[in-house]
Amino acid sequence: MSDYDVMVVGGGPGGYVAAIRAAQLGLKTAVVEEKRLGGICLNWGCIPTKALLRGADIAHTLRDLDRFGFSADNISFDIARLVRHSRLAADRLAAGVGYLMKKNGVSVIEGHARLDGKCRLAVEKGGKTDGYRADHIILATGARPRELPGIAIDGERVWSYFEAMVPEFLPASLLVIGSGAIGTEFASLYNDLGVDVTLVEVLDQILPQEDNEIAAVARRSFEKRGIRIHTGARVEELAPDGDGLRCRIRGNGVDELLDVDRAILAVGVQGNIEALGLEELGAETQDGFIRTDEWGRTNVVGLYAIGDVSGPPCLAHKASHEGVACVEKLAGVDSAHALDRNAVPGCTYCRPQVASLGMTEAEAEACGRAIRVGRFNLAASGKAVALAETEGLVKTVFDAATGELLGAHMIGPEVTEQIQGFGIARTLEGTEEDLINTIFPHPTLSEAMHEAVLDAMDRPMNQ
Amino acid sequence: MSDIKALTVPKWGMAMEEGTLVNWLVGEGDKVAVGDEVAEIESSKIVNVMESHVAGTLRRRVAAEDEILPVGGLLAVIADDDIPDAEIDRFIAGFTATPQAVSTREPRQAAPAAPSGGAAEPAPAPAPVAAPATAGGVAESLRQGEDDSNVPATPHARRMAGELDINLHNITASGRHGRVTVTDIEQALGRGHDGHAVPRDFHIPASRKDDSHVHATPLARRLARELGVNLNDCRASGSHGRVCRADVEALAQQRGGAAARGPAMAAGLDEPAVVETIPLSGMRQTIARRLQSAKADIPHYRLVADAEIDALLALRHELNAALSHANITVNDLLLKACATALSQVPECNVQFDGNEIKRFRDADIAVAVSLEAGLITPVVGAANRKGIAQISNEVRDLVTRAKSGALKQHEFEGGSFTLSNLGMYGIKQFDAIINPPQCAILAVGRGEQRVVVDDGEGAVATMLTLSLSLDHRIIDGATGARFMQALVRIIEHPGLMSA
Repeated sequence: MSDYDVMVVGGGPGGYVAAIRAAQLGLKTAVVEEKRLGGICLNWGCIPTKALLRGADIAHTLRDLDRFGFSADNISFDIARLVRHSRLAADRLAAGVGYLMKKNGVSVIEGHARLDGKCRLAVEKGGKTDGYRADHIILATGARPRELPGIAIDGERVWSYFEAMVPEFLPASLLVIGSGAIGTEFASLYNDLGVDVTLVEVLDQILPQEDNEIAAVARRSFEKRGIRIHTGARVEELAPDGDGLRCRIRGNGVDELLDVDRAILAVGVQGNIEALGLEELGAETQDGFIRTDEWGRTNVVGLYAIGDVSGPPCLAHKASHEGVACVEKLAGVDSAHALDRNAVPGCTYCRPQVASLGMTEAEAEACGRAIRVGRFNLAASGKAVALAETEGLVKTVFDAATGELLGAHMIGPEVTEQIQGFGIARTLEGTEEDLINTIFPHPTLSEAMHEAVLDAMDRPMNQ
Repeated sequence: MSDIKALTVPKWGMAMEEGTLVNWLVGEGDKVAVGDEVAEIESSKIVNVMESHVAGTLRRRVAAEDEILPVGGLLAVIADDDIPDAEIDRFIAGFTATPQAVSTREPRQAAPAAPSGGAAEPAPAPAPVAAPATAGGVAESLRQGEDDSNVPATPHARRMAGELDINLHNITASGRHGRVTVTDIEQALGRGHDGHAVPRDFHIPASRKDDSHVHATPLARRLARELGVNLNDCRASGSHGRVCRADVEALAQQRGGAAARGPAMAAGLDEPAVVETIPLSGMRQTIARRLQSAKADIPHYRLVADAEIDALLALRHELNAALSHANITVNDLLLKACATALSQVPECNVQFDGNEIKRFRDADIAVAVSLEAGLITPVVGAANRKGIAQISNEVRDLVTRAKSGALKQHEFEGGSFTLSNLGMYGIKQFDAIINPPQCAILAVGRGEQRVVVDDGEGAVATMLTLSLSLDHRIIDGATGARFMQALVRIIEHPGLMSA
């Protein structure tokens, strides 16, 4: 007899959400976590970085006080206080997850879980191992920072996001390797806090996942703020030198030796697939992630994987959705909906923020479809002008024939809070007509979304 | 013209022939809207809530609680307040139950047409094509013409034209891309080439066709379901030719009926709050009633035998080591063994309804699953023809979905044999009550090592005690014993399962 109907390994945003859903559906459920509930997202990712970036926003506002008639002297900054705020936010939310588990009747088992045969888990804690049986085991073990050959994260001078999130001091200069969401956010954060930042990206644009026009706006804005950017370039050497690091950046016509205090390695993540007992069970993996079908099912009976460990995009909201879909499918919920990975919005909380959904213009073109593209520059937005935050662009990509919203791409203030509008339109299969017929309130930043749709139909109103 | 409608016993599943009225949820004089819960009806397996498919006042409750009625039997009469009682009486006296089609799931559309006078609201399917009644008012000039299948028209307009026997060549098209629309047809009729006026509320017969392919906004689709409107019948005025909310509402309004959608009527009125009583859930009521009558009516007898399962355990180990896509339990193997034994002794693969014996070709084996709320017995169909891995994965899926309450009715109906296993609780042996109309149930205890004496020598073997309950009306002792013998042989020589 099984101890549980469903056991979830990993208490991050994929695992704990899957566990809650399973319990709601009447299944006896446990979640196994070896560190802290909430996973990377709550403890070392989404939430604490947003707390730090709030500090960066304030630094930016303080530099612009004069415009609004204020003046202030002797403004001082203590990085330790900001880090403390960030840690408190993480602590508070992690405690909240514990409460949610209790409220929903999910057992929380502490320890490291390892598959011990089909439908069996061995959970080890403090040298003691307990065995459990469950008809359905969901692996939600997440991912961790990837390293580069020759560039190891030492936690002292070469940081991963873990160290970058709890600095004890502000380095004078910083090299950020990799310009995905994590690298870009840290580059923006440290620059706003007054650090001399160099950003290196091996591909030919920063924010390589994003539409190239959006990336270009971001690059212009970053360079204006004094962030040095090298695209199409590699960090070929990174060696300790004095108190800091000496690095060599090469590629795209650049061959430069640079001395920096610290470096952040942000070249992506890899799935936590080790020490789970996958090989013994014959569970298939691919490129460092567990292979699954659209419902999170692996090739092994009763074994599922969701979230980062089942492959990119490695985002909390993607993990949560996959967790729910996986559980609803195995529980026989008729309305279960497999995740459409193209419908997962991506958000980067640099300044200005970047948010996107679906295909870039280039990707849509590559599909061979006839498309219509609309743009709106925030310089023409009344609300953006009033806020004195006019750097930004909204771009929409529609299928010319069906009016389907293929992609939406935004850069500008608070765009991460707005992208869901396009997401809802997409989920409801709204067309350009429906978006045009929707009344966007004035004056808001979101009016730019409306204008970008109107522009796609060659009906621009305010530009 | 009076409008009296009948509420009748719905047909929920192929096997349902009669239903018991468990509980009225509305009283005489209550207003009933479409979709309101009106009564609890028990079929052979489960108590379900019946929703009204018509609107009006519940004028008369014809059936009493606990009364058993055939499918199609009259439960109640719904009519407007102004219809005199005498007419209601006449309606009831003249009513005869009509056989009806199986309702796919919920009872919404399960009403037979009333025989006389009061035309029941849901139109009988299929809608008559070019019925004289609807074609009556159409001018000859609109009907004539050659094959109109090439004339561009909206699907709805084409259907309407078909029903009215109108040739689309005679209609001026005003729709997008030059298509004939419903409005065009209505206008043509209204203009009355020969003076015939067309009633404004032209009655569109309700489609029963699958409307899942009709392009509609999500809201329109949901609303259509709520209002009992088929999307095939709606105009499509939304963006990109989709049916939108306004289209669905317009049709519902045209049909009258579905205006009010009130919350479901609450059951049980004056529940005393002070007494500590636990009301029986629908499931518990059904279990209680069925087991009571099974125990009382069926002359049970039991056969007990031990089986050595070391070979079975070895097979299980071998299969599990070899297959990553299955995790086979002892119970899965026992289920397969039962199916094989039932194929060998088909006299035990039967149902008995009190009158005749149904003998099945395939072994559909029910598995007892314990839930917090009670017990349910999902069925593994044709287990004799399925492989062990498939059986194992089906059982796991059925058990999980039983726990989450997601089993479909057909998945726990029927079955010719039940397997009940309490070995995981350390139970050595127990006797089970037969689950009618089945005639046999196998109760399985825990596998344990015992000293077995063979030819004067003691040896250790893993043994399992099986207890088979049988219905003596149908299965004689010797027949049951033959089955048990076959079963033990298969368990002890599991290679026979693949023979």
